[in-house]
Amino acid sequence: MKVRKALITAANPRQRSLPLQMLIDQQGEAKSALQIILEEAAGAGVEEFGVVVCPGDETAYAGACGALRDRVRFVAQRDPRGYGHAVLCGREFIGGEAFLHLVGDHLHVARGTTSCARQLVDVAGAEDAPVSAVQPTHESLLTAYGTVGGRLVGGDRPLYQIETVLEKPTPTVAEQQLLVPGLRAGHYLCFFGMHVLPPEVFDLLAEQQAAAPAQPFGLSPALHTLAARRRYLAFNIDGRRYDIGASYGLLFAQLALTLSGRDRDQVLAQLVELLATRPR
Amino acid sequence: MSVRVTDIIEAAAPEVRDLALERWCAGRTAAELLAACGELDAYRRRQSNLYHRVRALFFLAALHRYHLPARPEFPRLGRVPYDGFSRMLERRFEEAISGFLRAQAGQGANETLSSALAAAYHALGFQTLADQVRHTVRSTRGNSWMFRLGHPLDQPLRIRPELRRRGGGDAPYPLLRERTPVRMDLTHCGWSDIFFLGMDFPEGARVLNVSIDLGVHGRDTEPRPPVEAYLRVIDEPVLRLASVDLEATAAVRELDEVFDFGRDYLGLLKAAIIAAGLVPPGIESSGTRLADLLATMVGPGCGLELVSNVNRIPKGSRLAVSTTLLGALIGVCMRATGQIGALTGPMAEAERRMVAARAILGEWLGGSGGGWQDSGGLWPGIKLIEGVPARPGDVEQGVSRGRLLPRHTLLGPDRVSAAARARLQESLVLVHGGMAQNVGPILEMVTEKYLLRGEAEWAARRRAVATLDEILAELAAGDIRALGRSLTGNFFGPLQTIIPWVSNLYTERLIERTRAALGEDFWGFWMLGGMSGGGMGFIVAPARHREAQERLQEIMLTAKRELQAALPFAMDPVVYDFAINEHGSQAALLADEEALLPAGYYQLVVPHWLRQEARSLAPRERADLQQFTRASRRRPEFAAVLPALLDRMLPSASAAAETGRLDELLAANGFDRAQHEQIRADLHSGRIGLAMNRLPPTTKIEDVPADAIAGGGAPAAEWRRAGEAALRAGEVAVVTYAAGVGSRWTQGAGVVKALHPFTRFAGRHRSFLEVHLAKTRRAARTFGAAIPHVFTTSYLTHEPIDRFLRAAAGDELDRTVWLSPGRSIGLRLIPTVRDLHFAWEETAQQKLDEQQQKMRDSVRAALTAWARAAGEAGDYTDNLPGQCLHPVGHWFEVPNLLKNGVLARLLAAQPALRTLLVHNIDTLGATLDPALLGWFRSTGATLGWEVMARRVEDHGGGLARIDGRLRLIEGLALPREEDEFILSWYSTNTCWVDIDRLLALFGLRRADLADADRTAAAVRGLAARMPTYITLKDVKKRWGHGQEDVYPVTQFEKLWGDMTTLPECANAFTAVPRARGQQLKDQAQLDVWQRDGSAAYIESLGDW
Repeated sequence: MKVRKALITAANPRQRSLPLQMLIDQQGEAKSALQIILEEAAGAGVEEFGVVVCPGDETAYAGACGALRDRVRFVAQRDPRGYGHAVLCGREFIGGEAFLHLVGDHLHVARGTTSCARQLVDVAGAEDAPVSAVQPTHESLLTAYGTVGGRLVGGDRPLYQIETVLEKPTPTVAEQQLLVPGLRAGHYLCFFGMHVLPPEVFDLLAEQQAAAPAQPFGLSPALHTLAARRRYLAFNIDGRRYDIGASYGLLFAQLALTLSGRDRDQVLAQLVELLATRPR
Repeated sequence: MSVRVTDIIEAAAPEVRDLALERWCAGRTAAELLAACGELDAYRRRQSNLYHRVRALFFLAALHRYHLPARPEFPRLGRVPYDGFSRMLERRFEEAISGFLRAQAGQGANETLSSALAAAYHALGFQTLADQVRHTVRSTRGNSWMFRLGHPLDQPLRIRPELRRRGGGDAPYPLLRERTPVRMDLTHCGWSDIFFLGMDFPEGARVLNVSIDLGVHGRDTEPRPPVEAYLRVIDEPVLRLASVDLEATAAVRELDEVFDFGRDYLGLLKAAIIAAGLVPPGIESSGTRLADLLATMVGPGCGLELVSNVNRIPKGSRLAVSTTLLGALIGVCMRATGQIGALTGPMAEAERRMVAARAILGEWLGGSGGGWQDSGGLWPGIKLIEGVPARPGDVEQGVSRGRLLPRHTLLGPDRVSAAARARLQESLVLVHGGMAQNVGPILEMVTEKYLLRGEAEWAARRRAVATLDEILAELAAGDIRALGRSLTGNFFGPLQTIIPWVSNLYTERLIERTRAALGEDFWGFWMLGGMSGGGMGFIVAPARHREAQERLQEIMLTAKRELQAALPFAMDPVVYDFAINEHGSQAALLADEEALLPAGYYQLVVPHWLRQEARSLAPRERADLQQFTRASRRRPEFAAVLPALLDRMLPSASAAAETGRLDELLAANGFDRAQHEQIRADLHSGRIGLAMNRLPPTTKIEDVPADAIAGGGAPAAEWRRAGEAALRAGEVAVVTYAAGVGSRWTQGAGVVKALHPFTRFAGRHRSFLEVHLAKTRRAARTFGAAIPHVFTTSYLTHEPIDRFLRAAAGDELDRTVWLSPGRSIGLRLIPTVRDLHFAWEETAQQKLDEQQQKMRDSVRAALTAWARAAGEAGDYTDNLPGQCLHPVGHWFEVPNLLKNGVLARLLAAQPALRTLLVHNIDTLGATLDPALLGWFRSTGATLGWEVMARRVEDHGGGLARIDGRLRLIEGLALPREEDEFILSWYSTNTCWVDIDRLLALFGLRRADLADADRTAAAVRGLAARMPTYITLKDVKKRWGHGQEDVYPVTQFEKLWGDMTTLPECANAFTAVPRARGQQLKDQAQLDVWQRDGSAAYIESLGDW
């Protein structure tokens, strides 16, 4: 499954300024969150980028794209009708090919040298199947994420065949439908904010929209249907996701970037000093 | 080929696996049975399969309890090591068993040790089963996460946004309401919904379960789902709980209060909050704050209010009201937190199953337990509920044969037509007979019998399983008449074969009179579940349905009035109106003007608000008050509570009237106020109390060897001849103590134990009193002489017994049957905290199962607080007057005969009288045995006492050598608890009395009995020399709709056995067999009593 395009959703009316937030990346350069996300995708071989935004945000976002600005196209989501609708807005830009999908409020930091997006795109290519990046997540955080249930198919690799996708399940439901053998007790495979999806996902989203035209709709029900219709995988990425929209999310994302980058020692020393001088 | 005992457990072939243990034991000697015990004990220790292990444990219990003692060659006398006994109390059963087996190796096997082994194996069997159910409940998918959560920040549940959206400003938040029908069981499939049965025998666990709406006939306009649960967000960081039915409210502010179930009447609501995951069980004792948990879940500064309402359906309805309520409460909490997909409307199948699993968890947390069909009301209409074999992937796989949760198959109109449903509703008269009994012991008996595969019971169980198919076919065909026949057959056949105690005289009287009233139009009787007397069904021809409702109301009320002194009724009987509910549990979101709690809620809380200054009301309270005021103007059910609400604000006049009645009763029964005040003062100062009952620790206590008392060998023939001659000469009378109200027998319900029709002999139910009369009739006929029989009574028992005997004995009363009314009475006192601590903390107690123990500790803390608040050693008057008084111990029973003139009249009527046989009402085997009579006469003693070899369950002292003197000693007087365990002999409290020698002991002669003053002085003189014991007794207080609370109260007593302490009283002691000496103290003993042959023995003693 070759991936050439990426679709980034950043149209949440309550988080319009998040992708514009400035952070220092691993190399010590100041960049917007959007630029970091675009570079993550570019590092995985993506050539064209579509960013779904609230109407009127195009100019501000364009200024935050950095060197990749020329390869970015903005798509406005006219009505705020949910995450699924935002993805559907990108249909025309994507056309009939598989694409990398990222969310505008998540940053990703790989543990090793291969970026998270690169790992995912490589798996999708090797397996020739849609793949969602996942991260084992404690049950207390379930209500913040889409969660998948399935079984291990990758042997040594943490690759799972998805059977069920539920959006923000309660642990009660998760225990009944989303237990994945091999994970620690109380942990589930939650979305990482990064997917390689086939174009047919747009058909599924359109079906959802047609079924209840006035209702907002999410992406997870379409992914659940996708799992029922074709081989759809989850890959436990060797890295971490950081939700910059959560409380202290931006701070943790910045720390994660810095502690895996050039200025690690400098920041650590300052943190230690901070701890020493402010015991409470 | 001979079958080994372990083969029965392991065999795959049903003919071996279902072989009754009793059949296997038949013809085997005690030595062979002991060898089997060894084999079984080794087997169960190495066996990993849970049910094999449990079955081996029950086999061992049965061998030691029934089969070994039945072997004539089996030795009787032994000693239970105290260490083992105390391990049993601590629920360390394995260690107890090892201790008893070591003692058996040392002493040799004997009946005393076998009784201890039987009790320990039996308890370990049930502990193993309960642990397994608990483990399965915890590991059921969807439940486990709650046990891992330990910090508020980890709480993943959030209150749904719809519930946090208010109309504006101070407007109340919307209300989420769950309405749930109750369930009735159309088949009563032999209690097959007990978890243990369903998990071992899933193919036999089948019930037909119907969801119904309910109304009380004549009170409610129409049936409706009787159970409601409400939840809403509130603007304070607390959990507000309210039970409209139990008239209780609380604001829970601390996390640990949520886990304190016994503190108030809101335990069920707390269990629901925990089981629904709002306050997950894992967070107990975490030291975190409830406000933080609520902030995570609801929002900063916010909390929740949970309200339950049961539309005044009385307790004991056998309609699983409390499990249904638990389900509704859990349901509303799970909806509110998104654990159930739909906020309103019905639940999905998987969600109903989840709620049912959580209800099981909630019941375990609350220390109670129901069957797996009890959440049936969550499902709509009529359904077949069946056990399901465990499959790979199930948590039960490899542990039990069946799953914990059953399968529900809805029977739609294609299986049971609308016409058939209508016919069922037109024919069934649903009632609550008024009795509310504890069915716990019944469920244990059923489990044990199932595991032992008693031949008759096993056949009955299979018949009951087959009955279900019959009933299903009849229901499908709409043949309600045939259905009635099958249900009646089920009640009188399989059910009573498995457990005879499911029926009682009251139920059978109702059936008989309904049949007489309706003739052919009475189609059948239907026992709803548990045991009869509470919720029951009568199936009648539809044309006479309305008439039958009215007639049954009268029949039940009349029968209740006839029997209320003998049987424990909690309330007056009621007839229900009902309708099949085809929707199951449903929720609705009520907003704005519709956001009203039940009218009873306002009746409960508004008086408190009205007593406050308007400005001090919280915004929520003010808004609720306005909401209620508006509702009262436009909705009649809210307007209707206004008068009751005002009544609640004014003091009641009835309390003063009750106090007046108590004073009259005290005056009429010779209450000694001076003595009472002395006791109170002594209690306050610590001069008397539970701890002071004991003899000094320096007292030397020794056991009495068998050769030191009579009865070691067969009684001599000359004793028998002498006894027979005395009987023929009319020299003997019987005195039965009938002053008591069976505190243990009915857990303080205050009924006359003597009149309790506890068993069926010669075709009908008989009371203790009737059993004793039948034995005396037999003796009188055998010896051709008049044998007077005296029943001693008290203020509580005299009138009912007199009424009963006038009807039953007619002109025999005062000729051969006599009543000796009590002449002493005490007023119960609120216990001192010191005595409560002594009883609960300083004496050895049976530790309970983990959750039950927590519940008990919590209740005890609440009772201690009650004693402190109500005033230690104050008069106990907050109950019915009769429940505030107490008899003052059986020492007074014989002296009363002297004081009240009954002995004088007896002697006048029968001057040859020389000897009395005096015994307890529950010592059913006490007969005028001529050999024992002859023995007593031969000793020349004043008093002759019967003792028997002790078993582990025999507590309360016995025969001992105390500082060198042979005497009886009460358990509560022994210096140390372990002292009792060195005593081989237990007192039966049966005593032979030589009348003239006894009179001499009092300083009287026969002629002096005419002088009342002299007699009274003589009795007073001797009474002063008898020790006074302080005891704690349980007393029930009834309230509401069949609700009961049990309070500990202090009373004092003097006991007849202490006559053996008088140096001038000549005593003789003899050993008697258990069949003669055993007493029935607890209804849970009945089944064992019947199975070990005791019942048949007693039946053989009387002329019926």
